[in-house]
Amino acid sequence: MTLRRRLPPTLALPALLTALGVVLPLAYLVLRAFGAETQELRDIVFRMRNLELLRNTLGLALGVLAAGTAVALPLAYLAARTTFRPRWVLTLLGVLPLAIPGYVGAYALIAASGPGGTIQALTGLAWPGPSGFWGALGVLTLFTFPYLFLNLHAALRTQDPALEDAARLLGRTPGQTFREVTLPHLRPAWLSGGLLVTLHVLGDFGVTSLMRYPTFSAAIYQQYTAAYDRVYSAWLALMLLAVTGLTLWLEARLMRGVFLARVSPGGARQPPRVPLRGWVLPAWVFVGLLGGAALVVPLGTVAYWLRLEQNPYALAGLWDATRSALTAAGVAALTTTALAFPLAYIGNRYAGRAARVTERVAYLGYATPPLAFALALIFFVLRAAPGLYQTFSLLILAYTLHFVAEAIGPIRTSLARATPRLEEAARVLGAGPGRTLWRVVLPLMRPGLLASAAFVFLSVLKELPLTLLLAPTGFDTLARNVWTYTEEAQYAAAAPYALVLALGGALLTILILRRERP
Amino acid sequence: MTRILLASAALLLSGTSLAQGQLTVYTGRAKTFVEPIVQQFERSTGIKVNVRYGTDSQLVAALREEGSRSPADVFWGNSVGALGELAEDGKFLKLTSAMVRGVAPDYVPDDRSWLPTTVRFRVLAYNPNKIKPGDLPDSVLDLPKMTSLKGRIGWTVTYPSFQDFLAGMIAKHGEATTKAWLEGMKALQPKDYKTSNVGMLEAMRAGEIDVALTNHYYIQRVNRLNYPVETYFFKNGDIGNLGNATGAGILKTSKNRAAATRFLQALTGKDAQTFFLSVNFEYPVIGNIIQPTTMLPYSDVTKRSPRLDPAVLPKNIEKAQRLLREAGLL
Repeated sequence: MTLRRRLPPTLALPALLTALGVVLPLAYLVLRAFGAETQELRDIVFRMRNLELLRNTLGLALGVLAAGTAVALPLAYLAARTTFRPRWVLTLLGVLPLAIPGYVGAYALIAASGPGGTIQALTGLAWPGPSGFWGALGVLTLFTFPYLFLNLHAALRTQDPALEDAARLLGRTPGQTFREVTLPHLRPAWLSGGLLVTLHVLGDFGVTSLMRYPTFSAAIYQQYTAAYDRVYSAWLALMLLAVTGLTLWLEARLMRGVFLARVSPGGARQPPRVPLRGWVLPAWVFVGLLGGAALVVPLGTVAYWLRLEQNPYALAGLWDATRSALTAAGVAALTTTALAFPLAYIGNRYAGRAARVTERVAYLGYATPPLAFALALIFFVLRAAPGLYQTFSLLILAYTLHFVAEAIGPIRTSLARATPRLEEAARVLGAGPGRTLWRVVLPLMRPGLLASAAFVFLSVLKELPLTLLLAPTGFDTLARNVWTYTEEAQYAAAAPYALVLALGGALLTILILRRERP
Repeated sequence: MTRILLASAALLLSGTSLAQGQLTVYTGRAKTFVEPIVQQFERSTGIKVNVRYGTDSQLVAALREEGSRSPADVFWGNSVGALGELAEDGKFLKLTSAMVRGVAPDYVPDDRSWLPTTVRFRVLAYNPNKIKPGDLPDSVLDLPKMTSLKGRIGWTVTYPSFQDFLAGMIAKHGEATTKAWLEGMKALQPKDYKTSNVGMLEAMRAGEIDVALTNHYYIQRVNRLNYPVETYFFKNGDIGNLGNATGAGILKTSKNRAAATRFLQALTGKDAQTFFLSVNFEYPVIGNIIQPTTMLPYSDVTKRSPRLDPAVLPKNIEKAQRLLREAGLL
């Protein structure tokens, strides 16, 4: 699907900017990593523990990917292809868990379970608390599967029904059609969602620390928390980047040769919906269980905390924190989507190694431990542009470079579905590149762009380390309050912040729902 | 949309102007303990205070990367480890002897690089429904002998106060004893709650563990939530009862040393000290503050802690971390 070979300079600029976001922290980490003596280096790099961390990290990433798919695919199918009603329940369930930061979810589940937990206080039953591999797997699955759901749902909704019709006409049963036509066409969507889930698991330290399951990121976080020497953390971060590089290479191999444009580019006919019949009850049981674990228990626990003794000082900062969190997330969602669009466009429409690498590089930025990224920015910015240090612009730049990978996926999926022939047609009919972009490409991509902006918005709302170190002094966010109050066992003080965070997510979900309605 | 853009433009322009009468404080302390103090300080002095929150180690790392360009005037930390690291880097101004007068002398470092702001003690937390305090050992050094507690012990290996305690053990009993203690503890398969003391006491409430090495005030806090968690002190002078300060120092990069000095004085003033005790159950560093009845009086509890020069702890933290790494615990 190659159109052009050489990148125009307007597209090369975003590519360069993104590369900067990866090269700076990498340079910084290498600088720190080799700041030790040879003997110490040997002790650090060749440790059995590093192998254990590698095994745990990969195992958890694969586990969460499998479990997330097992949850997201049926849910997406129910929402996109069946007559399940009311449909908004499914979409809400598929998106809202993203609004709950993983560490809050983990804390809430811990506080809810066991003797004396919230669940026992409310129902009289004591549930066992989550911990270890299965605890981390469960919690991470519950709060990351929406990445898969959103991608799969969009793909199922926009898949050209002509293909499935053709398969049925050629004598395939509905089951065969699903396996041989529908599923393979979900591959790019599954890969972009799965990549985000995987990168999220690789980078998570909040949940894995609380579940006491050692992974690279948990170890890096511990090093930065406990030890004041930056050498071992730098090495761990470099190892993590290597693992991420491998993941990206694998995903690129799996993506190779995928061509999935619609066969009938004219009218966007939507796939028909299958009646549920006898499956209504199992569907509701599935939805009920998932909703209970991912939404009712954590949000119920947080609401229960509200009833505990309130701290007036904690409430006083709520408005300020909400305002700055929304501002930062809003601006970052715009800038990040604006950066992701040309990157996805380059990756999809241009041939050659440079184009492929550019897009991959963005994902590497996502995998850079945020603490290392923040320290690298401090290091370089104070040397190159001290006036920028601890300003809102630098914070937005950091968010943009860090989260751009999240925004690429949905845009890439929409691009893959918008056949380049439409652009060619527009150009042949005399429209300039700008007009083609505005009148043809962007309208086709609207759902993808919206989903990207929503992803980034939610991620920025939840973000901690970058905000702590790079925000203008005095800049306060919801996530920071939730984190500091739960760490101090001041659940009552944390609750309003966590609820506003979830509410923000819910409003955003409703916004997406309204836009998605045909 | 327009509003977002306007708001961000305003933020972009605000930048970092350092007018006279401004103070920038980096703190690893929680906002609940900081905000009210800062507000009162601003009201009574007219000095505007900008606060940057983070964990101790994040802020130490940031201060190091910032170097001489740091905008910070004061570092107010949670652990002697972080304060000691900065002191060793030569980042603090030496305080005058007048400033440290009347402040808990046991916890003032000899080089007067920083000022203690509160004191807390290491203790053993236990679940009274499962454990009789009479069955617990006299010394934390004997904890590894409690084979009946196998798999029922919690600790927080990454938490700074735990590492301070381990550094204290090295200072008092030597590296070999500490190494043996860690190996003995490891054989009892303790559960590591990383940095989360609250998570650990949640686990005790949920029946996952029966005893836990922690700071005294965490028990006071979860007792407010009616959790079944009680405090156990080891015998007097035992390293398991180690007293440990939080503190603040003035950074050499400070452009407003007069204001920084006033801020440190406010932290050790009567109002701030009463406040720390009431919300955080940490012991005050000055006398004549009324304590809640659930806590042992300071004069009693301080006798239980061994005498160690506060400067000795940071010097041993690196050794402590090496031992933890060698034991495969970190």
